[in-house]
Amino acid sequence: MFQYEKRLQFPVNIKNPNPTLAKIIITQYGGPDGELGASLRYLSQRFSMPHAELKGLLTDIGTEELGHLEMIGTIVYQLTRNLSMEDIKKAGFDAYFVDHTTGIYPQFASGFPWSAATIQSTGDTIADLHEDLAAEQKARKTYDNILRLVDDPDVKEPIKFLRAREIVHYQRFGEGLRIATDRLDSKNFYAFNPSFDKCK
Amino acid sequence: MLRNNELLKELSQVAFIMWDLHLYLDTHTCDTDAIALYNKYKEKYLCLKDEFEEKYWKLTSTDAQGVEWIKNPWPWEKEGCDC
Repeated sequence: MFQYEKRLQFPVNIKNPNPTLAKIIITQYGGPDGELGASLRYLSQRFSMPHAELKGLLTDIGTEELGHLEMIGTIVYQLTRNLSMEDIKKAGFDAYFVDHTTGIYPQFASGFPWSAATIQSTGDTIADLHEDLAAEQKARKTYDNILRLVDDPDVKEPIKFLRAREIVHYQRFGEGLRIATDRLDSKNFYAFNPSFDKCK
Repeated sequence: MLRNNELLKELSQVAFIMWDLHLYLDTHTCDTDAIALYNKYKEKYLCLKDEFEEKYWKLTSTDAQGVEWIKNPWPWEKEGCDC
């Protein structure tokens, strides 16, 4: 089960609303490489993971991603407070506004709704861990691109924190992959799925 | 009210160090230095948590009910500017 803790992993205090940035940053809430997909990917894949280390790792990183989802939701929420209709129209926020007002909805920057088609849970240890490594790099890429588009330090600081976490998770998943392969026959990594095939 | 609250910042920093060590220990289960470091920070965390909860709000739903739990601010509310 999960228990809520009433604080953010890293503080978010944005003084100046900016709907243009909100339109971009929402993609890390429900976009193709965002935090919702990350958390559901790891928390779903963990059920078929062999080895205690991997079950722990997927549970913990999946849980941390839920905290990141909350941070991104907070950033978008604070960027869209106290907007006038003029602000909304000028920023091109009207397309989002007409469907969601200033509610937080999981979607790509393009407006496409969050899709389970952006994640996999293959039931194959090696395939899943490689997807996880790629997912961390793809999220890191999105944060790099967001940082290229943002000037406000109130927004930059939490985004920089989240970017750094992708790198740490990549390292941990790399170690997890090594743990998995170390326990396989090195001549035969890919013909045996430790999640499904039983050791003789 | 609580914007840039130093106590919350320190608590979050210590909790973050502990979390990062926790992740590290998932894949380095026998690293006794990391375990010792974790325990050192945990002691500090428990003191900060007591101090914070005494002054502001309880952090988990096990420790607070009713008004005590639902009172503002919630974490997305710019730490108190909304109330």
